[in-house]
Amino acid sequence: MPKDPETAGQQDAPHTLIPFLQSQSQTALTRLYTRPSSCLAIFRLLGPIERQIVMSLLWLEGPIASQTLNAWVTKEGRKPYGTALDTLSKIQILPNPGTRMLLNPNFKASFRMALTGGGDLNSFGVPYVSSKEKDAERDGAGDKKFGPNLEHLDSYALERWETILHYMVSSGTDSTPQRPSAGVLYLLQRSGLMQPLPSPSGYSTASSRKTSQLQISSLGFQFLLHTPHEQLWELLLQYLKMVEERQMDLVEVLNFLFMLSTMDLGREYSPDNLTQTQLVMLEDLRDYGLIWQRKSSSKRFSPTRLATTLTSSTPLLPSSGGGNTGPQGFIILETNYRLYAYTDNPLQIAVLNLFVHLKSRYPNLVVGSITRDSVRKALNNGIRADQIISYLVTHAHPQMRRNNPLLPVTVQDQIRLWELEKNRLKSADGYLYTNFAAQADYQVVLDYAKQIGVVLWENSVKRCFFASAEGHSNIRGFIERRSKDEQM
Amino acid sequence: MPPRRAQDHNYMAVDSDSDDSFIVEDGDGDFGADRTRGAKSKGKGKAVQKGKDKGKGKGKEQPYSWEASYTRSWDAVQEDEGGSLQTAVEDLLARGRRRRLLGPSTAIRRTIIRHLILILDLSASMLDKDMRPSRFDLTLEYARAFITEWFDQNPLGQIGIVGMRAGLGERVCDMSGNPQDVLKHISDRVKLEPNGEPSLQNAIEMARGSMSHLPSHSSREVLVIFGSLTSCDPGNIHDTLDACVKDRIRVSFVSLAAEMKICRDFCVKTGGTFGVALNEGHFKDLLFEGIPPPVQTGAAATAKTGPGNPAADLMQMGFPTRLPDTAPPALCVCHSELKTEGFLCPRCGAKLCDVPTDCDICGLMIVSSSHLARSYHHLFPVKPYEVFMDKSSLTITSPSVCHACALPFRESQQSKTPATAPAEGLSPLGRYRCPDCGNDFCADCDVFVHEVMHVCPSCHDPKPIPQPS
Amino acid sequence: MSHLSLLLDLQPAAWHDPTQSLQFSTFLAHILVFLNAHLAQKHENSLAIFGAFPGKSIMLYSSIDQTKPADRRVQPDPNWYQPFKTLDAALTERIREEMPQPSNSSEAEEPLPVPVALVGALAKALCCKSSTYCNFNRIIQATKVEAPSDTPLVMPESRILIVSVSPDAAASYIPLMNSIFSAQKLKVVIDVCKIYGPDTTFLQQAAYLTGGSYIRMCFLQPPSVRSLLAVPTTDRVDFRAACFCHKDIIDAGYVCSVCLSIFCQPVPVCSTCRYAHLSTRLMRPI
Repeated sequence: MPKDPETAGQQDAPHTLIPFLQSQSQTALTRLYTRPSSCLAIFRLLGPIERQIVMSLLWLEGPIASQTLNAWVTKEGRKPYGTALDTLSKIQILPNPGTRMLLNPNFKASFRMALTGGGDLNSFGVPYVSSKEKDAERDGAGDKKFGPNLEHLDSYALERWETILHYMVSSGTDSTPQRPSAGVLYLLQRSGLMQPLPSPSGYSTASSRKTSQLQISSLGFQFLLHTPHEQLWELLLQYLKMVEERQMDLVEVLNFLFMLSTMDLGREYSPDNLTQTQLVMLEDLRDYGLIWQRKSSSKRFSPTRLATTLTSSTPLLPSSGGGNTGPQGFIILETNYRLYAYTDNPLQIAVLNLFVHLKSRYPNLVVGSITRDSVRKALNNGIRADQIISYLVTHAHPQMRRNNPLLPVTVQDQIRLWELEKNRLKSADGYLYTNFAAQADYQVVLDYAKQIGVVLWENSVKRCFFASAEGHSNIRGFIERRSKDEQM
Repeated sequence: MPPRRAQDHNYMAVDSDSDDSFIVEDGDGDFGADRTRGAKSKGKGKAVQKGKDKGKGKGKEQPYSWEASYTRSWDAVQEDEGGSLQTAVEDLLARGRRRRLLGPSTAIRRTIIRHLILILDLSASMLDKDMRPSRFDLTLEYARAFITEWFDQNPLGQIGIVGMRAGLGERVCDMSGNPQDVLKHISDRVKLEPNGEPSLQNAIEMARGSMSHLPSHSSREVLVIFGSLTSCDPGNIHDTLDACVKDRIRVSFVSLAAEMKICRDFCVKTGGTFGVALNEGHFKDLLFEGIPPPVQTGAAATAKTGPGNPAADLMQMGFPTRLPDTAPPALCVCHSELKTEGFLCPRCGAKLCDVPTDCDICGLMIVSSSHLARSYHHLFPVKPYEVFMDKSSLTITSPSVCHACALPFRESQQSKTPATAPAEGLSPLGRYRCPDCGNDFCADCDVFVHEVMHVCPSCHDPKPIPQPS
Repeated sequence: MSHLSLLLDLQPAAWHDPTQSLQFSTFLAHILVFLNAHLAQKHENSLAIFGAFPGKSIMLYSSIDQTKPADRRVQPDPNWYQPFKTLDAALTERIREEMPQPSNSSEAEEPLPVPVALVGALAKALCCKSSTYCNFNRIIQATKVEAPSDTPLVMPESRILIVSVSPDAAASYIPLMNSIFSAQKLKVVIDVCKIYGPDTTFLQQAAYLTGGSYIRMCFLQPPSVRSLLAVPTTDRVDFRAACFCHKDIIDAGYVCSVCLSIFCQPVPVCSTCRYAHLSTRLMRPI
């Protein structure tokens, strides 16, 4: 059993950003690699084998033959090694791995610079220092020497982030939580996580759509069950996809994101060196809770923990739920389908409410049970059984971790069975052929339909059969030809 | 026989006295009020006998499992006023400390090269469910854990397994020094399905026979896990007992049911230990007591080294060089197979597949020095750290962090009531001081140093080498 | 996440040896880049650095220990990742403080050569690592619940890298071996990097027993990746031990059957357990 997500990560899909980077043009990537902070952040997003390959090649001046590196790979390692090389070549870090191994010169220079320090690109953010001394005098005691304290930043990020999630989770219900800003709503709608509620008077007009109530989509439900880290990247990826339409430079956007991820938590930075694009982003990211500013016009900004942990694999978000549940899980699930969740976080309770029939609530505990109805409700919302199970696994209480398997098998199986239950009826578009005059007619047409493989159901006693829609024109043609023949 | 019997009566009488006084001490008023005194002395007497040297007192407050009405494991843990388990955890810590303090702190003599036959009761009585899931399943599970741990601590030892089933002794596994070999033989539960009556004599005779050829410097031990209250023997078992005494075979018993006279006789006369398991946890404790190499007491040593009995030879041993798998392949002397990896005998240069072994060419015993080194901590234990009590003697210059892990000391909340702390053996300041180097360590490191690492982090700092002038 | 404990052998006599090609300042610069590379691998990677000085061992830096307020003092630099800078500044300063300067007063007062306290440093590294492990274990024991064997211990993947320049100190054989066995129990991999000087038998064994590597210089992957990408293997591991009487390293010797003390020549009475060996005269010399 792997002890570490990193160990398991070898088989897992690469980070969500990597495929996005792979789709970018070579020039864009090369521009991206000129900044040490971007190189460092991308390096961290790579898998362990890729990182090792990069590290092995980083300090070599000339290229080496690929056979040399191949010799290091064990038999079991062949496949992961191949995929790793493939990934590296697609994101242009290691062009042409087939013959000669040589890192992209830009990447090599920048990454070396990141490790050894130096250069004058200011890629790790310009700290707000120059005027700090006088500033401190002016602001007096209110301004601490190192900017806002960590608790404040954490609670700010948490509040922003949970506002978004809470808005999503309660959109279908009567309660109206605080609305996130318009930019966030637009992003949610664009990404398909939420959709406009169809107004009672038919289709909403363009003008009314803006103000209309949004409703969570099935994609959105799935989104809620992801880990916070995945959620964050999912949103950012949507943001990156929107960049082109908004006439923003993708490389600058990425650079800014990566710069944020390498900044020091709890320190203030100056926005003076930022480009116009990045200043726009500053505002957007403030809405998501990645950046904190005293005022929107403030001359400095601080990254929150959401931003500084962007490149970490395990989410080190400010522990959601006010710290009492901690980063570990809080859910205990018993074989009798009862579920105890040690939480008082309204968001977590709301998420649980998606697929659990909650029965009673105590100051730090929610008790409920997983029932057929509650799971069916979730399935109807577009949530899949595997997502429910993986949510339960990731948030399982430490006490549960001693069980093997983690969740009771009965419950797991039952949730899957309930999903299968939904699939008992399979719908297929098609046509029913009936009212055949003679058994011979019926038989001939049926044989023809079987020949072209479109029959879905047949009943020879009633002389009717059902064929899929794509076969209809053929069958119709066949019948028409036959009847023509008979008439002649 | 009669005089010995009288002795035994005395023995039991003393035993039951201590038992009574024990109950009074404990103030355990409601315990066994309806039971006869005889039964009480029988059951508890044993518990006292075997729990005496450990000072753990686990068996003190718990009756036999068949006497307990209903086990509620959560009752065993005491919460303090705040509902926290902190005190319970601290109590466990303190127990561990006290037990360690009882241990010797200087170099002692132990038997290092051990040979053990584990006799498992595979009679029908092992199917009893008074230990969950059943006596048999639990025994197998613990036996596996025991073997793993035993080999870890006695890398030069060998274990064989004999089963008692259907009135016969069955050889389950021959004497072997490879833990995987031994474990393989008891991995299959179905092959060992209990059945019939046990025969103590047959099994012990079989164990004795398989150990008769062993060299004199190694120990011969038998450990019996006995669940039955009867034994179905072909002859006089006392003859077997005498033979064991003559062959210096040390027989120990862990009984799962109750004490039997013959079992205790075996242990007393051969120098083994005897215990009756009260519950699952106690069973494991009793079993695992047999893991550390036995201390050779002075009396036993002199008895063994009579004139003409060279029990303590110096053994010639070779420490091999390991060849990597990139070395040119060569034939090994043990299997005559072409291999690249292997070990080279330092005396004759022959290639061997695995150590420890005897070189087939020159007969030198080949061990890796790490095999020997694994046993050294038994011989040279770390001195127990002193509990640091006195806050006033702390000066400004004394360090505020643990010397080993550099974390600050955690003062316990109980420091306000120092009256209770000394009895617990815990430092209210969370400081434990090494008597040799005078450095302070935190509780975690104290446990780690003594139970796992067996090295004091600062006692071995090298001193200047005096140069001959 | 991965935890690295770096043990630096800071023997001034070896480092200030003018015949060595590698200057200490160059060496330190390389080490710093290596540490940065380790931190760069993953955001959560942690680090602890121990220095083995002559006669004492000191923890030089720990990224886990955030109690030190000094970290914040470092001026931020827009061109350098902040954790790197903090680490480099702190480490360089600590080494400068602790490193004894070679006495250049007079040749007569040359201090006695003192072996470095490698064992102490190793023991401390293991103690640090175990503090989380111990806590975990104790809770398990306290609740008397048997953890299934495949329960993931809440332990970060960890390894120890020993950068060594000085030869074996035979006196530290037993404590060193004990430390190695405890590292084995904690599943900590020990890698050894020998910068120069003769091969050390003990450290070779340390690497072999814990599944690590004994190498001259290489950037090593975390243990979990080692099954996929091969690591340089050790060509020859010496399993020789030090005898108890003269602390010499021997390849065949006499072992007391009672206490396993190793002697390079037959002795009539074991110095460890005082056991009289009667048959010593019969022994052939090896």
